[in-house]
Amino acid sequence: MTSENNINVMPGAIVCEESKLDGDITIGSHCIIHPAAIISAEAGPIILGDFCLVEEQAKIIHRLRPEQTNNETTPVLIIGSHNVFEIGCTVEAAKIGSNNVFESKCFVSNKVNVTNGCIIGAGCKLIEEQTLKNNTIVYGSKCFQREGLDRPVTQTAQMDTLSKMLPNYHHIRRPMKKDYLN
Amino acid sequence: MSYIILPDVVHYACTCGILKPISKLYFCRHCLELRCGFCVCHEADSHYCDKCAENLPSSEARLKKNRCGNCFDCPSCHQQLSTRAATVGPKNPDDPKAAPRKVFYLLCLLCRWSSRDVGIPDQAAVSGGWPERENIYAHRLQEIQDMYKAIVLSDKQQKLDKDKKKQRRYMSFTDRTGITASMLRKRIGWPDVPNPLLKAKPTELNNKAIAKEEVEEFPEDLLTSPVNLSLATTMEQRLVQPEWQPTTIDKLFPIHKHLSVKRSQRCRSCEHNVSKPEYNPNSIKFKIQLFAYYHIPEVRIITVEPLRAGKVSELLLKFSNPTQHQTSITLFPYKVDDVIACEDNRTEVISQSSEEKGSGSQPSSITHTSLTRQPSITIKPRPIKTRVVADVVVPNASFVLPPRDDAAEYDDSGDAHNIQNDPKIVVWRKSNKAVIKLQVTPNSDLNIGDEVTTAFTIQHIYINTITTVENKEPQKCEHKVKVFLTLGNLVGGS
Ligand SMILES: [Zn+2]
Ligand SMILES: [Zn+2]
Ligand SMILES: [Zn+2]
Ligand SMILES: [Zn+2]
Repeated sequence: MTSENNINVMPGAIVCEESKLDGDITIGSHCIIHPAAIISAEAGPIILGDFCLVEEQAKIIHRLRPEQTNNETTPVLIIGSHNVFEIGCTVEAAKIGSNNVFESKCFVSNKVNVTNGCIIGAGCKLIEEQTLKNNTIVYGSKCFQREGLDRPVTQTAQMDTLSKMLPNYHHIRRPMKKDYLN
Repeated sequence: MSYIILPDVVHYACTCGILKPISKLYFCRHCLELRCGFCVCHEADSHYCDKCAENLPSSEARLKKNRCGNCFDCPSCHQQLSTRAATVGPKNPDDPKAAPRKVFYLLCLLCRWSSRDVGIPDQAAVSGGWPERENIYAHRLQEIQDMYKAIVLSDKQQKLDKDKKKQRRYMSFTDRTGITASMLRKRIGWPDVPNPLLKAKPTELNNKAIAKEEVEEFPEDLLTSPVNLSLATTMEQRLVQPEWQPTTIDKLFPIHKHLSVKRSQRCRSCEHNVSKPEYNPNSIKFKIQLFAYYHIPEVRIITVEPLRAGKVSELLLKFSNPTQHQTSITLFPYKVDDVIACEDNRTEVISQSSEEKGSGSQPSSITHTSLTRQPSITIKPRPIKTRVVADVVVPNASFVLPPRDDAAEYDDSGDAHNIQNDPKIVVWRKSNKAVIKLQVTPNSDLNIGDEVTTAFTIQHIYINTITTVENKEPQKCEHKVKVFLTLGNLVGGS
């Protein structure tokens, strides 16, 4: 860990020590960050909302688009709550709302805005500049898009199990003290 | 079937002239010929649903239009739909004792389409009882079908009446495949029962399709309102449901799943099976599996030196013997117009050849009579069109490959086989495998970057363990197969 890293872990979050967190990162309460997850705040701070699940080998990278590099203000990547980043996904999206699922091995480039309730299917690649509407589902090898009826169900049972299991087998990063917050 | 060495650079010439990797070929033990998917007869053995593994007799499958009654495909992406359970509140929420109900709906795990998307009510039972949609044209389609059936039958009847005069003594091929009850009755001498459909002459349809002069008005809003593509269905989604052809996504309804078939493959010449699966849909095993991979020596490329036009390169090939019998391999140069070799792929082994090679492990009682079964259909092999652009110098001597021994993989004590190697040919040897060194010369008129393909003929001793009434002993045959190697591209320099 370098001294530049400024990692804030909110109470109730389970952040495995082996996970690679670079830069200025705030992790919301009740988040679960797996040991081999990578969160890299290259271009500016990342604020991860509550109840997010970041699985093994998932990469969340805050990377600027070329035209943004000259801006004076450093943009902040704010990620909403209840997002699931499944195994091996790479997410560089410029904006991420709530209740999204990034399935295994998907790729979302930094030109994409993800709103709420979207599902990026396994292996789907979103590269071109676009804003996904609420409840968009991207699926299949040709990355077809369709609009879902409702946002995906939250993985409460999975999160509960993980929050019980992970501390038994991994070193957990200490969350910030409550009084420090106040 | 994908194969463990995927860049498929070694091809075998099938008897029909098509080049295929060894994993895609069959070997008929009765005519001792290679067969591929193009030159075998395919037969549907049984119909089954690959989701619920239900086995259906073919008549029932036809009645259900080859679809499973219980399983569904997603109308949006054509994957399987899964049944999902959800709990809803009790029927009368005022009663505090009422237990919450369980309801089921269909969900696609790929595109997340669900039966709730189009308003199909949730079902109380797992197996569903999902509403069936009635095709509004079903009656009309049935009418047309019946009319055509009647025409076919009356045609047949006319033909039979004509044939009645001349007594037929031979069965025709059509009789053999589609024998009708009426034909059977005739053959055994019973009076023919007139077909009920024939009583009435083939009726005309009572309402014929009539071309209309007025067509629907062109909907103006097609040009004025913005297009919302997320509401329109794709071409695939429409064509997969030809009865309805939905144009908007709110008309997508679950599709009954197509049945799969287990099929057996039959050698076209001798009508023996080369592949026959077990009947049970849960089983992935075969009753008969005459795959070439289990009978023909396998060739793999180990290394090849950079290929230059007109220059000699060294080529290392690994041969392995998949059979339980020792074999001896002889290489022959490839000839383009190898017509004789095609027809004479199998020759009887002359008695001295086995003694010469000193194969002591062979049983002495091997008989040398040729196979008696004659092929019922002779198929002329087609010429192989692949251009061979490099010469291989094949050694004059042959080499021996010991039988396959699965236990040898775990045995480090060295090989027990006492085989004298010709060091000029065999550079390495372990259990049933041997690495052979060959010299390959690409043609001098090739350009840099051209793909270099070479070929040769392998002759191997094949022990046929099929016993017939006359031959109780396994028979020893020489079998020839042409092997094509794609060695890579020509490079420049010296
Ligand atoms: Zn063939
Ligand atoms: Zn089924
Ligand atoms: Zn689907
Ligand atoms: Zn055959």
